[in-house]
Amino acid sequence: MGKLFSLTYPTAAVLLAIRHGHRYGFDVMDATGLPDGTVYPILRRLERRGVLTGAWEDEAKARAEQRPPRRYYRITRVGEEALTEVVGRFPALVRVFAAEPGTA
Amino acid sequence: MDTPGSWLIGAASRLVPRARRDSWRREWEAETAYAWTSLRRSGRTSRFATLRLWARILTCTIDALWERKETMKMTGFLNDVRYALRGLLRYPAFTTVAVITLALGIGATTAVFTLVDGVLIRPLPFPRPDRLLAIEHQGRDGQDQLPISSGLYVTYREQAASLEAIAMYQATVVNLVGEGEPERIPAEAVTPSFFQVLGVQPVLGRTFTEEEGAPDGEQVVVLSDGLWRRNFGADPSVVGRTLDMNGVSRKVVGVMPPDFGHPNRDAQVWLPLVVDQAQVSYGGFGAGGIARLSSGSSLEGAATELQGLVDRLSEFAPADEAAFLKQVNLKAVVHPLKEAVVGDVGRTLWILLGTVGFVLLIACANVANLLLVRAEGRQRELALRVAVGAGRAHVLRAFMGESLLLAAAGGALGVAVAALAVRVSLGLVPTDIPRIAEVGVDLRVLGFSALVSLGCAVFFGFFPLVRYGTGNLANQLREGGSRGGTTGRERHRLRNTLVVVQVAIALVLLVGSGLMFRSFVALRAVDPGFRPVGVLTARLSVPTAEIPGAAETADFFLLLRERLAAQQGVEAAGLVGRVPLSGGVSFMTIEVEDQPRAEGELPVFAFQASAGPGYFETMGIPLLEGRTFRREDGAAGTHAVVVGKAFAQHWWPDQSAVGRRLRSFFPDEDWWEIVGVVGDVHLQSLEDQPGEMVYFPPTFGAAANPFVNRTLDVVVRTSGDPLQFVAVLRREVRDLNPRIPLANPRTMQDVFEGATARTSFTMALLGSASGIALILGLVGIYGVISYLVSQRTREIGVRMALGASAPSVRAMVVRQGLTLAGAGVAVGLVAAGLLSSLMSTLLYGISATDPVTYGAVALALVAVATLASWLPARRAAGVDPSRALRAE
Repeated sequence: MGKLFSLTYPTAAVLLAIRHGHRYGFDVMDATGLPDGTVYPILRRLERRGVLTGAWEDEAKARAEQRPPRRYYRITRVGEEALTEVVGRFPALVRVFAAEPGTA
Repeated sequence: MDTPGSWLIGAASRLVPRARRDSWRREWEAETAYAWTSLRRSGRTSRFATLRLWARILTCTIDALWERKETMKMTGFLNDVRYALRGLLRYPAFTTVAVITLALGIGATTAVFTLVDGVLIRPLPFPRPDRLLAIEHQGRDGQDQLPISSGLYVTYREQAASLEAIAMYQATVVNLVGEGEPERIPAEAVTPSFFQVLGVQPVLGRTFTEEEGAPDGEQVVVLSDGLWRRNFGADPSVVGRTLDMNGVSRKVVGVMPPDFGHPNRDAQVWLPLVVDQAQVSYGGFGAGGIARLSSGSSLEGAATELQGLVDRLSEFAPADEAAFLKQVNLKAVVHPLKEAVVGDVGRTLWILLGTVGFVLLIACANVANLLLVRAEGRQRELALRVAVGAGRAHVLRAFMGESLLLAAAGGALGVAVAALAVRVSLGLVPTDIPRIAEVGVDLRVLGFSALVSLGCAVFFGFFPLVRYGTGNLANQLREGGSRGGTTGRERHRLRNTLVVVQVAIALVLLVGSGLMFRSFVALRAVDPGFRPVGVLTARLSVPTAEIPGAAETADFFLLLRERLAAQQGVEAAGLVGRVPLSGGVSFMTIEVEDQPRAEGELPVFAFQASAGPGYFETMGIPLLEGRTFRREDGAAGTHAVVVGKAFAQHWWPDQSAVGRRLRSFFPDEDWWEIVGVVGDVHLQSLEDQPGEMVYFPPTFGAAANPFVNRTLDVVVRTSGDPLQFVAVLRREVRDLNPRIPLANPRTMQDVFEGATARTSFTMALLGSASGIALILGLVGIYGVISYLVSQRTREIGVRMALGASAPSVRAMVVRQGLTLAGAGVAVGLVAAGLLSSLMSTLLYGISATDPVTYGAVALALVAVATLASWLPARRAAGVDPSRALRAE
């Protein structure tokens, strides 16, 4: 597989956060602790490269909470392959997220 | 949604490309709304937590900026160019054809523009050129075109307040005798004011003083930059040296800057034109007149003032001369100097520029058609770009990037083509085109071709854009880009229109060149009145210092003629003032003895020439009656003239002219007896009718008027190649007097060809332009028809499966090609008819609406179109139905 994106530490963190169920932009910021301004550009780039794919949450659920539906991110098949690389390269980071209950 | 910060998100969203803006905004608003709600629910509404959320919301600007940057990167101009370059390199055949087509079009246009710019557009190379005038005169209501006379020059100089300065100039030739061979160099005799009028300072020394322009002034000379470099190695100490010119010692007083000269840059030296105030002539129009307007006066003002002076000429001029000029109804004519210099060549050049402009248009139409095909293949890809957020501007750039790149390559190659074409064609351009020395490829020309290239890019980039603009692209994607088995008519309307336009333009150009060709043929068929083949001519000038006496000068020429006639291989040899068709004619007022002029009748002019013994025989001009000149004619006391047929018939229709007598206007002149009548000769040009002609012997006038022709053309008819005889001619002249140089040896055939040069030059240019147009038009038709066939393969397959025969399929395809060609021919015929009046002044012996030319061209184009659609038709007829149907 050709290299899809430069796998930096922040990118790996974002991927792992999503893998562990932090699917919304603000949640990823909270989960990774990365500077707020850097998260969205990473999400955008990964989405463009087909590593992530975005979708809108169920409207009924949002209406029930009296707020607009949020956009969440999912890891694609391509993203799953990228994750195996993350595991290989950032084992410590993987352990940090593994301490949390995985939901993905 | 009214959550805190939504205004900020709304503002930031303006940075996001429109296609993604809505979704981007909803995402951020949803996140903030959710975050505020969670904050309130958790009850941790501390100032710190609120601030922290605000800070997070603020980062939406970073996200928005990132989105913007990414889109910009994707649609960045350089990226487009790189993308376009990759796209073009992927189709080398397409790219090569397009670039070469453009290079031809842009190159031809640039080359002709170079000519037009140098000759017509650029101001004359003098300070404040708009203030410069040419002063000319007309007599007998425009029948006589006259320059200026010394009398009028003096009158204008002293009386005209609207002129700051006025000058006369006269082209001449001097024999410069240096260390080596004597050299005959073109010179100009000018009044000292010449340099002030033009406003040019010498680079060394000075120009002439008023005293040097008066009788008994010092013998001085001003050198051109060219002569100074060539003969004196640019030695500044040349000023003050004396040179032997025409046997006279002249002191060099100055050197002019390079490229100085008027009306052309031929003159190598300038001599003072001596005007004797006491002895000016009002009727002797022998010099050109130029002037500079004084400040505050206008061209019209100057014209009115000069005409006023001409009307009051009796106050300044001797009574008989004033009366004479009144009789011919003399009018002063004032033109801007540039107009006078450029003359009638302007129309030819503009037509040529228009012609190559048309060729460029055809080239662009071809490239546009090629690009339309390419664009069809790119629809899906562009539709995808629109879908991911590329705006209208981006699609435009995607098309334009390719167009610009093609145009840039075509333009660069075109400039190279133009530079080459200009260099080659300067050798072919007829020398009578004025200012030709000023022509060259420079920054202005480069700017022009850059502009033309840009125009081309916009032109042919525009067509695919119209066809596949962003609006259409959206539909395209929705349709999934499926190629229909049948092709909609409107799909090809644009391409068809382009082909029709191409054919129409090609027809206009072909008609133009066809008419030019027929003019050329007609001109070549004109009988010049002499037989040019086998005749050598050269010019000889005897300076007074070399042979002072009139009789001795005549003897020199006559002896030379006899020696030449005695050479082996020489059939005849003769002398003449100036061979026909070599420019310059002189005319005189004529009075015929048996038909005296009535009071108030306008004087009659006739062309005059001096022709020595042997001239008519050498040139093959037929003797119709009487005899030609003998050796003794022209000697003191003899008064024999020979006249042309037109002259004889004008005065004595149906009667013999021999034995009649004539004289020039002035009553105290002797009568001259007509001894012979010869055939008419085209003197000035082949287009003009031969004039009424009187030949005098070269050395005429007895003791009372010791005027002698010191400059004559020798003509020699040889049995072999005339140019082989030049060496013999040189030897014979040298044997008689080694200090008399021989100038401009050439064959009469060359002189004759020179007279058709402008027509043949125009024909050659129009011919090559229309040839290119025809080929490009052919390629255009072929391209469109083959494309149609390839698009309709399936349909044709169905037709054939249903029983259509190969010939019927062929006919169908050819019919399609012919429909396009027919429409183009029809439009072209109308356009050519409308434009024909522009051509009429360039034509000779043929009407600008000549039906034969129009018909032949139309037929030729239809034939070519048939051929161009025949090839794709054959391919269509060869379609295998089963395979065609499977292919989709």
